[in-house]
Amino acid sequence: MDVVIQIIASGLTLGAMYAVSTVGLSLVYGSLNMLNMAHGALLALGGYICFYTMTALGMPAIVGVLAAVAVCGLVGLLIYICTAAPMLGSAQFETGVFIATIGFGAIVENVILRMFGPQPQPQSLQIPGDIVIGHVHIPNQNVMILTVALVLMVAMALLLKRSRLGRAIRATAQNREAAQLMGVRVGWIYAAVLALSGGLAAISGIMVSSLYSLLPNMGGDPMLKAFIICIVAGLGNVTGAVIAAIALGLLEATLQYNLGVQYSFALLLFLVIIVLIWRPYGLFGRKQVVRL
Amino acid sequence: MTPLRRDVVVTLILVVLAATVPYLTSTRYIVTQTTLFFIWAIVVTQWNLVLGVAGIFSLAQMALFAAGAYTTAMLGYYWGVPIALAMLAAAIIVVILSVIIGLACLRLRGPYVALLTLAIAQMLYLLIVNDTDCFTNPPSGCMPLFGGVRGISRFGDLGFRALLGSKWYIAHYYLGLVLLALAIIVSIVIIRGPLGLAFQALRDNPGYAMSRGISRFKYQLWVFAVSAFFTGLAGGFYAAQFAVVGPTVFSLSQLLLLLSMMVVGGLGRIWGPVLGALLLMLADEGVRELGDWRDIGLGLILILFVVLFRRGLTGAFEDLWRRLRPGKPLTAPGS
Repeated sequence: MDVVIQIIASGLTLGAMYAVSTVGLSLVYGSLNMLNMAHGALLALGGYICFYTMTALGMPAIVGVLAAVAVCGLVGLLIYICTAAPMLGSAQFETGVFIATIGFGAIVENVILRMFGPQPQPQSLQIPGDIVIGHVHIPNQNVMILTVALVLMVAMALLLKRSRLGRAIRATAQNREAAQLMGVRVGWIYAAVLALSGGLAAISGIMVSSLYSLLPNMGGDPMLKAFIICIVAGLGNVTGAVIAAIALGLLEATLQYNLGVQYSFALLLFLVIIVLIWRPYGLFGRKQVVRL
Repeated sequence: MTPLRRDVVVTLILVVLAATVPYLTSTRYIVTQTTLFFIWAIVVTQWNLVLGVAGIFSLAQMALFAAGAYTTAMLGYYWGVPIALAMLAAAIIVVILSVIIGLACLRLRGPYVALLTLAIAQMLYLLIVNDTDCFTNPPSGCMPLFGGVRGISRFGDLGFRALLGSKWYIAHYYLGLVLLALAIIVSIVIIRGPLGLAFQALRDNPGYAMSRGISRFKYQLWVFAVSAFFTGLAGGFYAAQFAVVGPTVFSLSQLLLLLSMMVVGGLGRIWGPVLGALLLMLADEGVRELGDWRDIGLGLILILFVVLFRRGLTGAFEDLWRRLRPGKPLTAPGS
């Protein structure tokens, strides 16, 4: 019983972290058809900004988090301006933007490397103590991550369903031309989506680095997992992405407990390949009819 | 002269010119760096077939290259297979691996293929790096099956060291040149031949092409397999040249370098990737002292070319040529 509680607790924490970074990616793909390969670098950047404001500038945690969200949101905007905006509507947009964001990610990662060095640093935002359920100790850090993720997901859902911006984002995702004809400024929506995704990446980066440690290339693995979750859910499907993130978190925790850390990721990938052969458009994706 | 013959003749002339380099310079560094250029040029001409010609958005090429290098090294290390034989065996194994990856990926749409192939490469990397169980225990210490973080070394060489002594690197130079020439000729034959025509038809009018019985899946799988052969061979040759294979061949900065070569030179063209490889190798020499700035520079180049010069340098030259000679009819795409 204790083992089950332990697995569920760590699985939910993992899933919550994945969900926060996946929703941003999924939103970007859903509205722009853009795979943002600089997302991992944004995760690292968010973690480092929070660390820097708290240690070097001596600010409280909340300022650190807000600074990270603001900076990553701006960098997200910059990604839009430098890579996606000049290519919008060109024939090979998806390929081009993918390659360009790889370049952007490399730049951000290397700037971090030059400023903070290659050695791992502990994230300063840590919440001490733990909660005891049965015989299982669950760190408050994990509880916090889960709570923040839940709040963020609810906020995102409200934003997408209720607000004017959310309606515009969904309209653009469904049909760009129609939205444009209805007076939606598509360019602004795209910029907003990338800034939003940058902010989410910052929070996700702080979460990841508080459990592991800060490294300039720490974003690579979470980004790949986020992409896998997007694929399993069907690219661009935000609700599906949250469900898939939690499910994959639980699955990963189970695999790690039963098989050890080193094979869990490989097995996870194998499962994803099977899913894709069975349903090439993702578990929750709709089959798309391609018109020639 | 048909375009195919013209391109083959150009290749042969370039090969003859390149063959004189070891006579013109006695600097070992220049010769070995040119050999390295041959290796990367082989990889990018083959990757270009997949990415630029067949339009498969695959990032598996570095993983296939690594698979070639690792297979060669492991065959040499564990079974003492002569390296020349091991390279050939590795190339064939890489073709099989690539067909398996192709069967899993090619039914998917563009971005899914990119992510899945990237995930496969990352999976291989993690399996190699995280494996700490000793497979054998040589005098140098614990040796995991894939060499772990340290990689595999001491698996023998092509035999030129025994034959030529300190001049072995010149033999490697010529071997690399021959492999590159073969790789370029294969790429010319594919781009100018029926496969290239099929892909051009699928690009220009997919509905008509498919109704005439051109199967995208079948042709894409063919290109995947053919390009894997030379990529695997290049990987094996890389292992022989450096006498060590480590997990660094999977690194992001390596991927970045090769992608930049293709994008700078021009995707989908015969000479684009070779030109890009040459230019970036030269630029890389120029900024060697700058160290950390290298990847930042590569990132900037990548964004600049993707955003501003979509067709790469060869494409830009072509536009210029057309503008200078307005009377000339348009050449076929892919030239």
